[in-house]
Amino acid sequence: MSQPKNALLLIGSPRGDKSNSRVIGKFLIDKLEQKGLVSEEAFAIRSVYTREGTEKLLKSVDNADIVVLATPLYVDSFPSPMIRALELIHEHRKAAAPTKQQMLVAIMNSGFPEKQHMDIAFKIIRNFAQASNFKWGGEIRVGWGMALNSEPLNEKKSMTRKLTKGLSLAAANLSTGQPISKEAEESVSVLFLPLFVAKTMSGLFGNREWDTQAKKNYAKDKMRDRPYENNQ
Amino acid sequence: MKVVIFNGAKDGDFTLETIEKSIVDQLVKAGWEVEPIELRSTQIAPCLGCFGCWVKTPGTCVINDAGRETTRKAIQSDLMVWLTPITFGGYSSELKKALDRIIPILLPYFKVYHGQIHHQMRYERYPNLLVIGVQEPDTDYEETFVALAERNMLNFRPPAHVVSVFRRDKDPKTIPAFVGEQLKRVEVKS
Repeated sequence: MSQPKNALLLIGSPRGDKSNSRVIGKFLIDKLEQKGLVSEEAFAIRSVYTREGTEKLLKSVDNADIVVLATPLYVDSFPSPMIRALELIHEHRKAAAPTKQQMLVAIMNSGFPEKQHMDIAFKIIRNFAQASNFKWGGEIRVGWGMALNSEPLNEKKSMTRKLTKGLSLAAANLSTGQPISKEAEESVSVLFLPLFVAKTMSGLFGNREWDTQAKKNYAKDKMRDRPYENNQ
Repeated sequence: MKVVIFNGAKDGDFTLETIEKSIVDQLVKAGWEVEPIELRSTQIAPCLGCFGCWVKTPGTCVINDAGRETTRKAIQSDLMVWLTPITFGGYSSELKKALDRIIPILLPYFKVYHGQIHHQMRYERYPNLLVIGVQEPDTDYEETFVALAERNMLNFRPPAHVVSVFRRDKDPKTIPAFVGEQLKRVEVKS
C-alpha cells in the first residue's frame, strides 16, 4: 500500500466524547497526524440514522486511506449503530467498488479483563473487511477498558504505558502503509496488571464500584430488583 | 406457554418471513401463546452504554420506549427466538438493537463463570433460547455465527438452547421441517 494521507476514526460507542473507545482511537489518530496524515472523526450513532449522516460517513470512508474502527464490546459483538454502519458501508462498496486500496484497523475495548471475550467480535470485523474490500490493518484489543475512565491516555502513567507504546508503534507502522506489527498488537493487549489480579479486583472492587454508583443514584437497595419477574 | 420472537430481518426477507411464519404456525398449533416482534418496524433506540439500567433504575432501561417492552416480554416468556440474517458472522443491526437493550435482565456484578468474568444473573428463571441465522449462499460465516450465539449463552444462561443456520439457497419448502426439528431440539413439545 502506498503512503497513506487520510485517516478516518469511526467510533462505535454511543457514549460520544465520554467513550473509552474514542480515547484509545484518538491517541492513535493523533500519532498519525503527527506523522503527517489528515484525519476525520465520525460517530456511528450520529451517522447511521439519517440520510445526511450516512452520506457524510460514506464519503469520509471513501476518502480515507486508513479507516480505524474504535468500538466497545456489547453482548459479545458491537453496539447496534456500529453494526448498522458496517452494513451501510458494505452495501455502498458493493454498489460501487472502491477506487483505491484502503486499510481497516479495529480497536476494541471490553469491560472484562480477559481479551478472549473479543475473539468473535474481531472475527466479525475481519469478515466485514474481507467482504468489503479492505486490506486488514491489524487489531488493538484493550481489556478492562473502563479503567481508563474516559481520560486522555498519558504516555507517562504506568497504567497506560504499554498501551500507549503499542499505539505509537501501530501509528508508525500504519503511517508507512504497513499493517500493525505483532509487536504493537501484543504491547497494547497486555493488561496493566496480571490477569489473575484483574479478575480478583473485578470481583471485589468492581462489584463495590457498582454499589458506589448506585448509592449516588439512591438505588443501592434496588440493585437486585426484578421488575419483570415472571407472573406465571 | 409463551414464546417471543425477535425478528431481525430486513424488509423483503422472504426466507426469514417464512421461518417466522412456520414457527408461529407450529407453536400456535401446539397451544402456545406466540408473539412475533418485527424489529425493523419497532422503535427501539440504541443502548446508550450509560449503565443506568444497572445503577439508576436497576432492571429497567432508562430509555422509555419499546425496548423496555421487548425486554419484559423476553424475560416473561418460556421460549425466546432470535431470527437474523447472518451479517459478517454476527447479528443484523435490527436484532442487535433489541439485544443491546436486554442487558438489565442481568446484574452488573461480576462472577467467574467457565473460567472467565461474566455478569451475575438477575432473575431465577430464564427462557429457553432458539437462535436461527440465515446464511447467504456465497458466504461461509456459519462457524463465527454459531460461536457468537454460543458465547451469548454464557451470558444469558438459558435452561436449554439451540443455535441453527439455514442457507438461503435451500428449498423454502424444507423450512417447516427445519423449524420443527429446531423446536424439538429446544425441548418444545407439541
